[in-house]
Amino acid sequence: MSGPSDLVRIYGRAFAAACWLLVFGWFTLLVLVPQVTMVDQSLWRMEQPKDAAQLTLDIDRLYNDLSVMKLDRADAPADKQAALDARIAETQAAIREMETRETQPRKVYGPENYTRMSGLHAEIFLRTLAFAALTTLIALVVCYPIACAAAFAGKATTTAVILTALTIPYAINELLRTYAFLMVLDYRGVINTALSWIGIIDLDRDQAIPFLESQAAVFAGLVYAYVLFMVFPIYNALESLDKSQIEAARDLGASSLRTHWRVIIPHAKPGLAVGSIMVFMLSAGSYAVPRILSRGLGGDWFTQLIYRQFFDAHNWNIGSAYSVALLIACLVFVALVMKITRVGLKDMVR
Amino acid sequence: MSDRLSPAADLILKVYLALFFVYMFLPLIVMVIAAFNAFQYPALSPWKGFTLEWFPRLVEDERLMGGLATSILLGICVTAASVPLGLAGALIVARGTRRTSGLFYAMLVSPILMPGVVLGISTLVFWREVGISGGLFTAGAAQTSFIASYCMLMILARLARQDPVLEEAALDLGASPWFVFRRVTLPFLAPALGSAAVIAFLQSFENYNTTVFAIGSGYTLVTEIGARLRFGLTPAINALGVIFLLVTAVAAIGFAIANRRKPAA
Repeated sequence: MSGPSDLVRIYGRAFAAACWLLVFGWFTLLVLVPQVTMVDQSLWRMEQPKDAAQLTLDIDRLYNDLSVMKLDRADAPADKQAALDARIAETQAAIREMETRETQPRKVYGPENYTRMSGLHAEIFLRTLAFAALTTLIALVVCYPIACAAAFAGKATTTAVILTALTIPYAINELLRTYAFLMVLDYRGVINTALSWIGIIDLDRDQAIPFLESQAAVFAGLVYAYVLFMVFPIYNALESLDKSQIEAARDLGASSLRTHWRVIIPHAKPGLAVGSIMVFMLSAGSYAVPRILSRGLGGDWFTQLIYRQFFDAHNWNIGSAYSVALLIACLVFVALVMKITRVGLKDMVR
Repeated sequence: MSDRLSPAADLILKVYLALFFVYMFLPLIVMVIAAFNAFQYPALSPWKGFTLEWFPRLVEDERLMGGLATSILLGICVTAASVPLGLAGALIVARGTRRTSGLFYAMLVSPILMPGVVLGISTLVFWREVGISGGLFTAGAAQTSFIASYCMLMILARLARQDPVLEEAALDLGASPWFVFRRVTLPFLAPALGSAAVIAFLQSFENYNTTVFAIGSGYTLVTEIGARLRFGLTPAINALGVIFLLVTAVAAIGFAIANRRKPAA
């Protein structure tokens, strides 16, 4: 297909040009150039010059010369003073030039921001990805039956009630949802309170179980905070499934398991793909959940490391490198899911 | 539940569904109850008696109220930017040639496929190079980058259902292109533009991950809540949670009722 697009033909050149301009501005200024700048920032660092130690020695030597010259000048006869003054000025200029070279770091490109990631940081990176993948897997297993229950409820009212009820915990702010989960795990949370009622622990004697100090708390919080992002995409995909297909499979003697495997799951694939991508990205990129649910000892989440590089260590180069690493991990996950489920970008967001 | 399941399987599914609802709602219910406990730490026990004192604390809190005003302002600006961008993107994708359409679609949904923190960081890094440090502007730019994508998707979904004959007919009858847009396309898209605007505002208002990185020393209501959720917890946060929960529930139920009245389109 060539020739003018429908956009130009229907709405005219001026309108089409306005649309192009808006979209161009959006994509370049808000997406592309910032990403490129971030990648660029991740590839350089400011480095002290390699000969800094030698320079320091040279500068010290010049300072010695300078003091000798100043002594000489004090004793020198008047006719030689002018020559000595010139030499002193010359030396001082040389010192100034060398000092700026000594203290001024240079911009050096290289992969060091990535490769110098410490063992601890690399471990946190991998742990973050592993936990996010596990969260996604749990969400898949937990939510598939829920989505089926909603989609095949039989009565439209039942479906509407289930979905509306689930919308409430889904739509409430992420921070407050996580905070609600904190109410369960906190030192004076639901579990500890229940244990103290039974008499296993005594809260007033500081015997609370410190759930928040283990990494499992962050993990449990991620599952709680993002599990519903799996339900709605699967439900949306199942909604369009012709129920008579299920009847047909059953009438032809397929077992319930086989019906799911051969009829329902293939139809739900776009939903499974979208849900997996959402849950993985929200978990791996979550800053809210680890911030609220970890109390120091549990170790960091990768997003917290990034935050500290930017706002505590003020090392934006390493911060950018970590951020690019997270971005690449997520894009790889998206590509993997699309390849495994054979779902294209256009099928995903219908 | 379902007539296709055996009674036993049906029972198991019902129990499972019930457990899932308990799992989702129990923490929220605890958060609500703790908002009315007179104890100064958010908890159910010890129960020091019913109180409403935590709610007025919110209104007296200048930073929370300031954050609320900032959030509303930011939400309005982001909505005003995102809806036109989404509309332009949707028209280019829906009315472009086959080749440009696929390419632009991929480009313009890409921000949705990136982690929110990365969008915030890249915006912060880029605008600093230009000489604009983190603040409301960068927060708005970072939010718009992906909220416009959501707007585009909503408008695209509506455009896909449009009968192309309508615009052609208007053109054949001698309408000017601008007239076609204003009197044929725009009225058809109005419901989608309306819901895109609502969603854009809510997304902006609720956003934490992107905003906390992009906003620098500024703050919105949500980033201010985030700042307080780690140390020095007070039941005032629970009171705020009750308000958010009420608004969310009313919106969800209202949306469901409105959807049922509307004939299936």
